[in-house]
Amino acid sequence: MTDTPNQAPARSILPKWVRGPQDFVGGIVLIGIALFALWASSDLQGMHGFSFGAGTAPRIFAVLLLLLGAAVAVVGVLKDGPHIAAYSWRGPFFVAASIVFFALAIRPVGLVVSAFVSFLIAALGSHETKWLEAIIVGACLTLGCALLFPYVLGLPMPMFPRFLVQ
Amino acid sequence: MELFANLAHGFVVAFSPVNLLMCLIGALVGTLVGVLPGIGTIATVAMLLPITFGLPPVGALIMLAGIYYGAQYGGSTTSILVNIPGEATSVVTALDGFQMAKQGRAGPALAIAAIGSFFAGCVATVLIAVLGAPLTKLALAFGPAEYFSLMVLGLIFAVVLAKGSVLKAIAMIVFGLLLSMVGSDIETGASRMAFNIPELADGLGFATVAMGVFGFAEIIRNLDAGSEMNRDLVQQKITGLMPTRKDIADSTPAIIRGTILGSILGILPGGGAVIASFAAYTLEKKIAKNPSRFGRGAIEGVAAPESANNAAAQTSFIPLLTLGIPPNAVMALMVGAMTIHGIVPGPQVMQKQPDLVWGMIASMWIGNLMLIIINLPLVGIWVRLLRVPYRLMFPSIVIFCAIGIYSVNNAPVDVILAGAFGLIGYWLIKHDFEPAPLLLGMVLGPLMEENLRRALLISRGDWSVFVSRPLSAVLLAIAGGLLVLAVLPALRAKRDEVFVESES
Repeated sequence: MTDTPNQAPARSILPKWVRGPQDFVGGIVLIGIALFALWASSDLQGMHGFSFGAGTAPRIFAVLLLLLGAAVAVVGVLKDGPHIAAYSWRGPFFVAASIVFFALAIRPVGLVVSAFVSFLIAALGSHETKWLEAIIVGACLTLGCALLFPYVLGLPMPMFPRFLVQ
Repeated sequence: MELFANLAHGFVVAFSPVNLLMCLIGALVGTLVGVLPGIGTIATVAMLLPITFGLPPVGALIMLAGIYYGAQYGGSTTSILVNIPGEATSVVTALDGFQMAKQGRAGPALAIAAIGSFFAGCVATVLIAVLGAPLTKLALAFGPAEYFSLMVLGLIFAVVLAKGSVLKAIAMIVFGLLLSMVGSDIETGASRMAFNIPELADGLGFATVAMGVFGFAEIIRNLDAGSEMNRDLVQQKITGLMPTRKDIADSTPAIIRGTILGSILGILPGGGAVIASFAAYTLEKKIAKNPSRFGRGAIEGVAAPESANNAAAQTSFIPLLTLGIPPNAVMALMVGAMTIHGIVPGPQVMQKQPDLVWGMIASMWIGNLMLIIINLPLVGIWVRLLRVPYRLMFPSIVIFCAIGIYSVNNAPVDVILAGAFGLIGYWLIKHDFEPAPLLLGMVLGPLMEENLRRALLISRGDWSVFVSRPLSAVLLAIAGGLLVLAVLPALRAKRDEVFVESES
């Protein structure tokens, strides 16, 4: 979590008058989310008479978020704050990839294959992974899940690849 | 005497073999989660929600409750023995607990933590039983305007008690409220911000969001923290669990104070176990004759926070069971669990589902007893578990979460959404936004909208209804006052930041 190495104001794309980049960018993104929500709910009916339409509450919340996002960004301009923490790409990338793979694979190839492969993809996310160990643990975990979810808990899910079952 | 009849009924329910088993499983899983850093209570409860599908509702809720208070126990064990707080609630316990362990007094520290927790658990159980009925009556006097104001108060509490910037916490709540709007409108059925994605028609499931923001995001964060957390275990031989007479004399008042403080903070919306343990530790330090002993192995520093977090974990069920308002993120997930089983939390639950409410209350006492019996002998095993390296643990958690989310609706889209929220959560952490208020806002969103709409419909569009009804006005006034209080010291604290001594 410590971002001590790049505390120096180097490589900042933000203009100098931004004193708290972490808050500033955070606020801007919230504003973006709020605008997106306003756009997304623009087709919904607003107030009619004194009763709420489907779009009233979403718009109220979106406007609130817009104001709060702006306030956070203003704080980022006015007050000295931390720099944006360094992101690493490896962990997020492989964990996300593992999740996406699982989501795409569970229907066509079933629990056994998708859980095992996802485990190995997720394991790529750490540079400390030892492969033999990971494969053994992954296999055990897959076996455990394959017994736990469908049999012990009675949750129906595809187990094996479709083409093998048929 | 209705109280005793109710409690007796509860014990009959809780002592059925299935429920005893559920209670035991919950307590054990909770302890496990509490011991292992890197998986929090929220993520675990979210992860196990689908598992409770096949269970009867009483058993399911007993198990989930067990996880919550079990985690408080587990967290203290590792805090004391190896200075690794498995849960945020045990961070302060590590301060004095680990020092005691270093001085060879791990046994008494563990015993006092367990005794304190058990005592707190007993008091909290009685408190829930006593306060349940009157609060339910109060709840019946609530109209939509009062409900709305109460939820505002709850959210403000969450903000005031959260660490960090008040402004950012409010922003997170509103973000949560906004997320809760996705899906179908309750009254008109219009699809809102769902972009014609069928899986979004019912809204974002908060198990999905919780798993993303607390489960996946936490994993990703741990990974770039140079995953291998410092785990050189200083495994002490634990000799003699018995505290000395002096230990007991020293810690008894601390346990009582911690229990009272924890119970109060637990009931208040937005509170919860984390704040309770911090507050209890601070209180002990403030009133101690010799504050310098703290941080050097003062037994009060273990007794008070451990009692407080356990008391708070249990009393936070009170607003959920009586008013139907979840005071913190874990309770929000309990709402989810109840909804899955077709139970709408609120004042009517006490009357319509006495088995559920009283069974759960009784099970908490039984669970606490189980924890004290199970955990002291099992300490060695829990500590050994810490040797499982994170590089093997994290892919396992990822897979387990993914299967869990998939099984909720058999929907692959949910898994991808949880992944997306994992990345969003990672971003939030990087920008120092707290994810807990987001989840609370997300759960309260639909309730707030519904009550706001109703209140305005009844008042024929007159917004002054929120201040003209006395109960509602009082609630809003408290909320406003709290907010002012929260903002003022924040301003002052920022100015004095230079002089702040580094505490905890």
